[in-house]
Amino acid sequence: MKKEDMVKLISAEGFEFVIDKDAAMVSQTIYNMLTSPGSFAETQHGEVTFPEISTTILEKICKYFYWHLQFASGKETEFPIEPELTLELMMAANYLHT
Amino acid sequence: MQSELVRLCIEAACENRESVEKWRRQRRSLERLPSYLADALLRRLIHRRLIFPSLLEVFKHSVEKIDLRGENSVDAEWMAYLGAFRYLRSLNVADCHKVTSSALWPITGMTSLKELDLSRCMKVTDAGIRHIISISTLEKLYVSETGLTTNGVTLISSLKNLSLLDLGGLPVTDQALSSLQVLTELQYLDIWGSEVSNKGAAVLRKFSKLSFLNLSWTNVTKLPNLPSLKCLHMSNCTISSLLEGDGGKPPLKKLIFSGAKFENEAEALMHIEMSFLSFLDASNSSLQRFCFLPNMEALKHLDLSSSIMGDDLVKHVACVGANLRNLNLSKTRVSSAGVGILAGHLPNLEILSLSYTPIDDVAVSYISMMPLLRAVDLSNTNVKGFIHQEGAEPDFFLSLKALESLNHLERLNLEQTHVRDAALKPLSSFQELRDLSLRSASLTDVSLHYLSSLPKLTNLSIHDAVLSNNGLYLFNPSATLKKMDLYGCWLLTEDAILSFCKKYPQTEVRHELVHNLPSNPNGSTSPSPSRLTSRTLLVNQKQGNISIPPSFVDQRLKYNREELLALQYSSLSLAIPLDRGSTTSQLLMNQSSYMS
Repeated sequence: MKKEDMVKLISAEGFEFVIDKDAAMVSQTIYNMLTSPGSFAETQHGEVTFPEISTTILEKICKYFYWHLQFASGKETEFPIEPELTLELMMAANYLHT
Repeated sequence: MQSELVRLCIEAACENRESVEKWRRQRRSLERLPSYLADALLRRLIHRRLIFPSLLEVFKHSVEKIDLRGENSVDAEWMAYLGAFRYLRSLNVADCHKVTSSALWPITGMTSLKELDLSRCMKVTDAGIRHIISISTLEKLYVSETGLTTNGVTLISSLKNLSLLDLGGLPVTDQALSSLQVLTELQYLDIWGSEVSNKGAAVLRKFSKLSFLNLSWTNVTKLPNLPSLKCLHMSNCTISSLLEGDGGKPPLKKLIFSGAKFENEAEALMHIEMSFLSFLDASNSSLQRFCFLPNMEALKHLDLSSSIMGDDLVKHVACVGANLRNLNLSKTRVSSAGVGILAGHLPNLEILSLSYTPIDDVAVSYISMMPLLRAVDLSNTNVKGFIHQEGAEPDFFLSLKALESLNHLERLNLEQTHVRDAALKPLSSFQELRDLSLRSASLTDVSLHYLSSLPKLTNLSIHDAVLSNNGLYLFNPSATLKKMDLYGCWLLTEDAILSFCKKYPQTEVRHELVHNLPSNPNGSTSPSPSRLTSRTLLVNQKQGNISIPPSFVDQRLKYNREELLALQYSSLSLAIPLDRGSTTSQLLMNQSSYMS
């Protein structure tokens, strides 16, 4: 796997999630960050930090990205969301436009 | 646009009481939640009937809009919580019958409220209005059919920012209306059924921004010129002159004259600028000559039902046919010849009603010349479905075949016509047909057989037909069929209907013998049974013709949907007291009247 096909998402606590660029681009916000013209640090290093998103939530978000790709390719499964996470996740999803 | 994951989160958060408890325990307030997310979450909770007064507390710093319409449980306790909502812009508690004047006290002095709907809260009286007038930010106020008196109406004059005021069904007098003339921002005024007369109507001139006015069921006969008026309702009024006076002619878009009487129609309509008009409802009115119609070039919606319209006058309708989308000629004297005059002139017509007219099968072929038709109502006419041809071989042809050329036809009503089985044969090739209504004692299983091949059929209603158990058994509808109404098909037995329901669980069947609640595959998105009850109650009150036994509500709440469905197949079903069965079937009937 080539390095430029991956991106690193960093949570508020500093945890790093390295995932496929394709998956991360499910989020319109991340898509804009990674494709915007100019030399943003995000574009150059393929790293995005989310000081507002906790590790638990960011992990769930990453899972969702992959689930979304699978769903879009026709695999119809449910995406389970624990009730405890719903509100935090909703706000993160809203921020990430995903 | 709400994102997909946000939607999933809201669904998960509102799954059941337990899931609500879980996220609620984590946080005492949803302060950080953007208001549109909070609004969406609250809306879902209300829809799923998971909201209760103390849960409202968490929303008090985030929600801007609440719609609690028709929620029977909303009372003073709810209002106490709602009063603490700092950013609330819009509150709708219409039809919440437990909302009283004193229950409104907590919302006194709210600082961001712009819209308040108290329609049909009958226990809200003048005392309640005294609380409301402290909310000086209000721009929209709906108090129709509440307990307000003339004095209460007068008090409203202190809400200077009002742009919309709905006083429908209240005893507004000329004097009360006159006291409201300080509301110069008013754009929308509804005073149907009030005591306002011509004297009061003269005051309307003071509302220089008025664009919507409803004067239905009043004694107003002369309306002065209102230069900004776009929409005017004067149903059931006696009209002698309209919009006469200086100032520019108003750019009227919508006129509702249903049931109105005109002393001299040419004079009454003389001052109206007709060229912008897109909606005219003159049903049941005393209009006689329709000479004004050709001036209404922009007309899209025309309702002339129960009017004097006939073949002799229909040429006026043809003149403005170019833009018409919706034409209602039911209960008029228009015959097949009249439809012939219209035929080539309605290139954009989508909806046509000719019910209760003397048309016959000749009209059907004319109708097929209106290429964009989506819905056609031919009920209660002389349509037979075939035309005899002297000397030809065969000596008749099926008239409904002509409709095959209508590629967009989705709805067809042939109730109470003279069609027999054979005449319905052409229907089997109608690719877009979704709704079909039939009602005739001469239809049999053969008709049902023709309908099996309709690929998009969603709603099928066959009343009073001679359908047999075997016919129903052999009926193989498209998977799209959601609702099948078989009332009055007396030959069917309960067993046959239940086995059909089992075979096609996605189809909701209605019949005198079916006592279960409608089967509903997507139960989570539909209102729960108890919510339906409140709605149907409401409908009943409006129609005022069906009396509900006092035990009705309790009986309905005794079982939830799952329990009812379980009962249906258990041996217990025989032991269900008779009154419950009848109330449920009554509910079903009410529902059908609500939906139709």
